Amino acid sequence: MTLLNALIPSLGGAPVAQPETKPADLAYSVKPVYQITESDDAFGVVVELPGVAKDALEVTAEENQIRVVGRRAWKQPEGWTALHRETVDAPYELVLQHDNAIDVGKVSAELRDGLLRLSLAKHEAVKPRKIAVA
Amino acid sequence: MRLVRYTYPSFRSVTPAIGAFPRSPWAGLEGEIGRLFETAVGSATAPAAGRFPVDLFEDAANTYVRAELPGLTREDISVEMTDGYLTLSATRKTPVATGENAPGNAKPLETFSFSRAVSIADDVQADRVAAVYENGVLTVTLPKKQAVQPKKVTVAIK
Repeated sequence: MTLLNALIPSLGGAPVAQPETKPADLAYSVKPVYQITESDDAFGVVVELPGVAKDALEVTAEENQIRVVGRRAWKQPEGWTALHRETVDAPYELVLQHDNAIDVGKVSAELRDGLLRLSLAKHEAVKPRKIAVA
Repeated sequence: MRLVRYTYPSFRSVTPAIGAFPRSPWAGLEGEIGRLFETAVGSATAPAAGRFPVDLFEDAANTYVRAELPGLTREDISVEMTDGYLTLSATRKTPVATGENAPGNAKPLETFSFSRAVSIADDVQADRVAAVYENGVLTVTLPKKQAVQPKKVTVAIK
């Protein structure tokens, strides 16, 4: 039984996984439209974030995930009455899992006109390599 | 693998569950059925890619139209006012991904045009319409006619 408890921590009363704590304003977020392309040495991610300014954008590269959080720069001014709405004011949140095949140190991002372009360079180890035949 | 049509989040799907109006337990199912329906009749309705969300606002002096149009240049957007309709049209140009591009040759562009028309009340001064494009959001300001703005006249009583 002790061995079993050691193997399966949940049986020993230990919490299996810590519930992820999120900031209050991210409780209701919207997943933006995105597109992923792949080339020989990098992955490209294009995320549509209309209404997000550069200083309200967070791109976090972690051990096995890339997180993009964008908060809207625009707020409905006082005195404006909404006649018809199709957009939401909720922040954008996109979490992409990866299997560490990318070099976290070489992630570059560019935000222009509401379009975020991420370039995730592949690790040297996963790049295709030509082997010369003797 | 299954291709899932992207549905733009509605006010309902992101509304927090508060107080007496908890989020419906069927919300997920409703969304799924809606998506299924859209897939089935998808060819008849407008393609999701060609639609962009538009907001309408109003205050005492102006009417505002806001449209989310990410990743465009100002030259590719046109705003026209005709017969009480405000037409927003845009062209997205994306370079075609080809294997080899000869240096010196311009990359072929794939263009995709989309537009939307919004009915605007008659009380707008069509010649003073202004538009701003910032952070991928187009804001069109339509000033109302002076006569329509409520005028306050204080009458002195003798």
